[in-house]
Amino acid sequence: MASEASLVAMVVALALSNALLVTSESEYNKVKIWPMPASVSYGHSHLYLSNDFELSTNYDSGLLKDAFNRMLAVIRLGHIIEANFSALHLSPLLRGLHIVISSSNHQLQYTIDESYKLTVPSPENPGYAHLEAQTVYGALHGLQTFSQLCHFNFTSRVLEVHMSPWTIIDQPRFSYRGLLIDTSRHYLPLPVVKKVIDSMSYAKLNVLHWHIVDSQSFPLEIPSYPKLWDGAYSPSERYTVADAAEVVSYAQQRGINVLAEIDVPGHARSWGTGYPSLWPSKDCQQPLDVSKEFTFKVIDGILSDFSKIFKFKFVHLGGDEVNTSCWTITPHISKWLREHGMNESQAYQYFVLRAQNVALSHGYEIVNWEETFNDFGNKLSRKTVVHNWLGGGVARQVVASGLRCIVSNQDKWYLHYLDTTLQEFYANEPLTNITNLKQQKLVIGGEVCMWGEFVDGSDIEQTIWPRAAAAAERLWTPYDKLAKNPREVTGRLAHFRCLLNQRGVAAAPLAGQGRSAPEGPGSCYEQ
Amino acid sequence: MLPFSQKPHSKFSFFKLLFWVSQLLVLSSGFELDESLTYIWPLPSEFTSGNETLAVDPTLSLSVSGKGGDLKILREGFERYKKIIFKHVSGVSIFEKLRGITSVYDISELRIIVNSDSEELQLGVDESYTLFVAKNDGKSIVGGATIENVLHWHIIDEQSFPLEVPTYPNLWNGAYTKWERYTVEDASDIVSFAKMRGIHVMAEVDVPGHAESWGAGYPDLWPSSSCREPLDVSKNFTFDLISGILSDIRKIFPFELFHLGGDEVNTGCWTSTPHVKQWLNDRNMTAKDAYQYFVLKAQEMAISKGWTPVNWEETFNAFAANLNPQTVVHNWLGPGVCPNAVAKGFRCIFSNQGVWYLDHLDVPWDQVYNAEPLEGINNVSEQNLVLGGEVCMWDEVADTSNVQQTIWPRAAAAAERLWSKREAVSARNITLTALPRFLYFRCLLNRRGVQAAPVTNKYARQPPTGPGSCYEQ
Repeated sequence: MASEASLVAMVVALALSNALLVTSESEYNKVKIWPMPASVSYGHSHLYLSNDFELSTNYDSGLLKDAFNRMLAVIRLGHIIEANFSALHLSPLLRGLHIVISSSNHQLQYTIDESYKLTVPSPENPGYAHLEAQTVYGALHGLQTFSQLCHFNFTSRVLEVHMSPWTIIDQPRFSYRGLLIDTSRHYLPLPVVKKVIDSMSYAKLNVLHWHIVDSQSFPLEIPSYPKLWDGAYSPSERYTVADAAEVVSYAQQRGINVLAEIDVPGHARSWGTGYPSLWPSKDCQQPLDVSKEFTFKVIDGILSDFSKIFKFKFVHLGGDEVNTSCWTITPHISKWLREHGMNESQAYQYFVLRAQNVALSHGYEIVNWEETFNDFGNKLSRKTVVHNWLGGGVARQVVASGLRCIVSNQDKWYLHYLDTTLQEFYANEPLTNITNLKQQKLVIGGEVCMWGEFVDGSDIEQTIWPRAAAAAERLWTPYDKLAKNPREVTGRLAHFRCLLNQRGVAAAPLAGQGRSAPEGPGSCYEQ
Repeated sequence: MLPFSQKPHSKFSFFKLLFWVSQLLVLSSGFELDESLTYIWPLPSEFTSGNETLAVDPTLSLSVSGKGGDLKILREGFERYKKIIFKHVSGVSIFEKLRGITSVYDISELRIIVNSDSEELQLGVDESYTLFVAKNDGKSIVGGATIENVLHWHIIDEQSFPLEVPTYPNLWNGAYTKWERYTVEDASDIVSFAKMRGIHVMAEVDVPGHAESWGAGYPDLWPSSSCREPLDVSKNFTFDLISGILSDIRKIFPFELFHLGGDEVNTGCWTSTPHVKQWLNDRNMTAKDAYQYFVLKAQEMAISKGWTPVNWEETFNAFAANLNPQTVVHNWLGPGVCPNAVAKGFRCIFSNQGVWYLDHLDVPWDQVYNAEPLEGINNVSEQNLVLGGEVCMWDEVADTSNVQQTIWPRAAAAAERLWSKREAVSARNITLTALPRFLYFRCLLNRRGVQAAPVTNKYARQPPTGPGSCYEQ
């Protein structure tokens, strides 16, 4: 009897402790907004959106109106909404969203205010939901959050907001929350790029890092040097200047900056298809020929053309994985090195710094991959942002030296490594081991990288999502609101993944490796 | 394959025309294109071409005439294709400035004549068209092309029941969740979306097997709670419910073909459940007799609602002699079935799983391409009984995240087999005649935002094996 009683007691105790865990987890999991906002409070009631749910605002802006209409489309998802509310006895009707924006400045730039406050009233006093923001881009984030509060009820066919009233006060933890795409290893048609941009806005990512050119192909039109895009895979696998401007504009309408990258001096073999003199020699085609003035004229031409299209404050100059052997074995270059008293690594430094000066002369600040910092950090322009990718622990050194940093350590945030799990993406903390507050501010944010060797238009979405969403929350949500155990977010993330699917984004199942097929039949919410 | 009826030109052929035109227009002159091939997919029935390049005005206008010229479907299709074709173009004025010419375009207008004003989309509707692209000196290009024209929607199966059935509202309790559902309006929306693109929707309600999910809302339909398939043949309720479903669905799906399934019926739960076994005994039926009884009864219901029933081939294999003669037999188990079906006077749809099941990832594009629905059928009147064929995208391991690249590009290989002339697709060396065109079409799909997987991979829906041009992967 005694042993039975203690067994029962044990079972009860276990059940109780599980219940407690479940309660706190389930409170957290009830908030099906992704990423988790900085501050959220909610209630227990339902509100219903009226059929003529409207935008009410004094802020005269096509951008805002379009974003509002896009939000409505994404809530409705093509369902027919029931018109006859009185028949359903649904009284608490939300008539619209009232938006107040303080600043009239329309410009999208680095470190604009992205905060917003969203309130959804209680059923006693419905009427309008309210959205306040400093800038229109903060308002866009608020619209995105609102869109995640609304659900189509299949039985009554109305749009509902559950758990009202809501008060959400939100702003991002990091100002740079990026995704890299690579259009050199595989050309990505414009519709694909635009869909990626749309999907970024759902997770509140705000920088599209466009790695446009690399060894394999040069797809972008450069009017100053029109033969450069002879290095495209084919005449139709190209972007005109208008195409690029369209990408920038499409992104801007969604609050997303475009960071253009022109990677030098390595990763540049494709430049020589149009201009073979850029190659050290015909048999040794990378890096770009450091000994020629022409090389830097071309870089200047490219950056000059860039400056007319890419208005983001930064330009990315690459500088990674530079194998300088073609410089030392090519006679005219080794001669040039001797004449200038440089060895290979000094020439690498010379190249990077010279390219930096060109960029600075066009009004840009610079991002460079971390090798430039690792090799000659103290020589870099103080305006350089170092882009970490090789591994952990680099950010700490970068900010200790007083430079800014973007975190993309490949062991956790490289999307084409399919065996990096969701949980690893979620748990990758940019400020690891950085305790000094001033230095923490120098980490401007982070970026997940979708390199293109094994990814093209047919599978890019499912390689990016949902793992990029895990990183998106790490970059947006305040540190103390992040889940300590990444496994806790599975429910919310499954919900977000299904939301992406509903919006036409081919986000892969959570289970298994990146981009896995579902294991068998089943509900979206359990896969 | 011969057309069914000789109706006058209808407007659905308009899509084929525009689709074809859209494939002709490229941003720049062709790259390394093998000039001896025609880069339109599927291959048109007849065509001639020249060697001139004509410039098309991005503000291309539409002028219509004929009885069907005014139809909304026409205008909307034109606008849709215009957006697809001209998405890159914006530099009109630059041309004018450089050349000082007011009109630099050779083609500024598309003139369409549609002879019939009928909007009805039915089996055998005339989908032909003729296209002339000419400059003043009279050179012309004539041709035709299209994509698949029937969406076979296998809505329900044992795992879930996502569709709203107003007459029996608990049926969709069998959906995975309350969000993974289609309202009646959603289904109608799909039908109308398809119609605007010249595509029929053939709905399927698979009975009596593959129906476990029906019992989530109505457990009486299960033989017992521990033996849940097939549907309980012994109850009137079962057939009342099927009749209710068919009535509701008739209002949504106007296509004259309706699929009643009937595949993979394991009658074990009938013979092992006492009250069903009793029912069989009372009527001196074996389980197989009951299977036939069930299928025929469902067929009668469909016919009474104005449908032509389609059934999976097991029904033909098991009781061809008693199958309703209107039945269209849907082959899937393997080759050689359509020849038998048409020999007995039945119409047939070809979906041999060895070659046209898209969920079989190990079937490469050339095997899909080489499959011939009329194989083994030499008599012309029997050939006419083969309605066509269908590729099947079963979803056990496919969902929103990967369904497109599982379907494409291999479905396009079947599409050409089903559209183009048999001689044209039966060339011996398809690596020379079809592969370059197929690669081109895959890249066209990608450019239009369709996630078509690389062509040259051994298995379907694999990523590209490394960096490279779309046209080589």
